Amino acid sequence: MNTPIISLYNVRQRYSERTVLAVDRLDIEPGSIIGLAGPNGSGKSTLLRLLAFLEAPASGTLTFMGNPASCKSNQIHRQITLLVQEPYLLKRSVHANVAYGLKVRGESDIMAKVNHALELVGLPPDKFSCRQWFELSGGESQRVALAARLVLRPKVLLMDEPTASLDGQSATMIRQAALAARKEYGASLVIASHDMAWLNAACDQIIHLENGKISGTH
Amino acid sequence: MDFLLQGFLHGFVLLFTGNSETYSAIWTTVGASTLSMIGSLTIGIPLGFLLGYKIFPGKKILRTIVDTLLSFPTVVIGLLVYALLTRHGPLGGTGLLFSIPGIAMGQTILGLPIIIAMTATAVEALDKRLPMTLITLGANQRQILWATVLEARYSIMLAAVAAYGRIVSEVGISMMVGGNIKWHTRTITTAIALETGKGEFAMGIALGMVLLAVALTVNILASGLKKKAIK
Ligand SMILES: Nc1ncnc2c1ncn2[C@@H]1O[C@H](COP(=O)(O)OP(=O)(O)OP(=O)(O)O)[C@@H](O)[C@H]1O
Ligand SMILES: [Mg+2]
Repeated sequence: MNTPIISLYNVRQRYSERTVLAVDRLDIEPGSIIGLAGPNGSGKSTLLRLLAFLEAPASGTLTFMGNPASCKSNQIHRQITLLVQEPYLLKRSVHANVAYGLKVRGESDIMAKVNHALELVGLPPDKFSCRQWFELSGGESQRVALAARLVLRPKVLLMDEPTASLDGQSATMIRQAALAARKEYGASLVIASHDMAWLNAACDQIIHLENGKISGTH
Repeated sequence: MDFLLQGFLHGFVLLFTGNSETYSAIWTTVGASTLSMIGSLTIGIPLGFLLGYKIFPGKKILRTIVDTLLSFPTVVIGLLVYALLTRHGPLGGTGLLFSIPGIAMGQTILGLPIIIAMTATAVEALDKRLPMTLITLGANQRQILWATVLEARYSIMLAAVAAYGRIVSEVGISMMVGGNIKWHTRTITTAIALETGKGEFAMGIALGMVLLAVALTVNILASGLKKKAIK
């Protein structure tokens, strides 16, 4: 069997003395799609931030490719990316937003890559590339933010309620784009969502969280 | 009344015929304010950034001090810089008293608190999701710092415009440190303040119009930047 990309061992997260997440064991296998379900406040976003190595757990261990890893490692952040619940766009054009991660990595061929990513999320580059951050609807911003992560071809793409507050059509595009990430370059996906129909259809495995604990897996 | 109108007309003539004494004062102001803007921006933006970005003990007190310095009277700054630059002062050997760089030194002190306070506020007001977003897009420490400055760019430009408005229109520092020396350190404001009484009424009006034009430009720029900063 392959080494999991990310593993959690006895991880606890506490905010102001309150334990909000307690996960004994979780593996993210290469190329898998994992759904995260659970009521509001059950710890989905917290778990995603830990998996993205954006914050350190109060206790426990996280490994990346089998090695214990810290949330200070830029190398890891360049292979795992998180689409947060309400994404923030930089005060730049759509093109510059999607290109940002490629630029910090010093990649080439940026124009073609950005255009491809915009097409994946259903935003025609000729219409949207030059738009400014304040010239977008909520759903368009969400898709730009997703494009900015798809373009990086991450090993793991974490998504926090990517279709919440979107109309049916935008939501469909986000769903298709997410699946394209796995098809095109074998990314692992972790998707937190209240859309059980989608999770059931798309995921290899669904993890249910309740009060910060895994209450079931199927 | 008649002589006011006369003064206005004569003032226009001075401006549009390129009167050398009038333009000498204008260029002195341009020189001193450019130097002092370079000074206050290069020192002020990094300090303001640190003050707004980092969390450290004593931060509150430091903010209060900077805010207090915002209302530092220009004559007191003039006095301070004069004391530094006077022959027996600690920087007396530099020969900067009664020179344009000397004026710029005082004006830099005037502009600094404005740049520092407004930059710090701008950085503090940035969206809380910004650092996390930059990290998860793969930016390293240096790239995060730079992107953060860029996110605050309109507010920082606004700070620059506000500082410029204060610097070009101040009299106290230019007068005390510059000494209003004709053809040398006479600025727009010292010329208006000190020459009008000597019968240079038209020149005063001409220079006053220049200052008003600068003030108008500064205000237009500022309101444009304010709109951009909150988008
Ligand atoms: N920064 C924080 N400080 C204190 N408590 C926090 C913080 N972030 C989250 N919490 C708490 O942690 C718990 C889990 O929150 P989390 O955001 O992970 O839930 P969620 O499952 O994503 O909920 P939702 O479906 O509403 O997005 C909640 O009780 C929340 O109040
Ligand atoms: Mg959440």
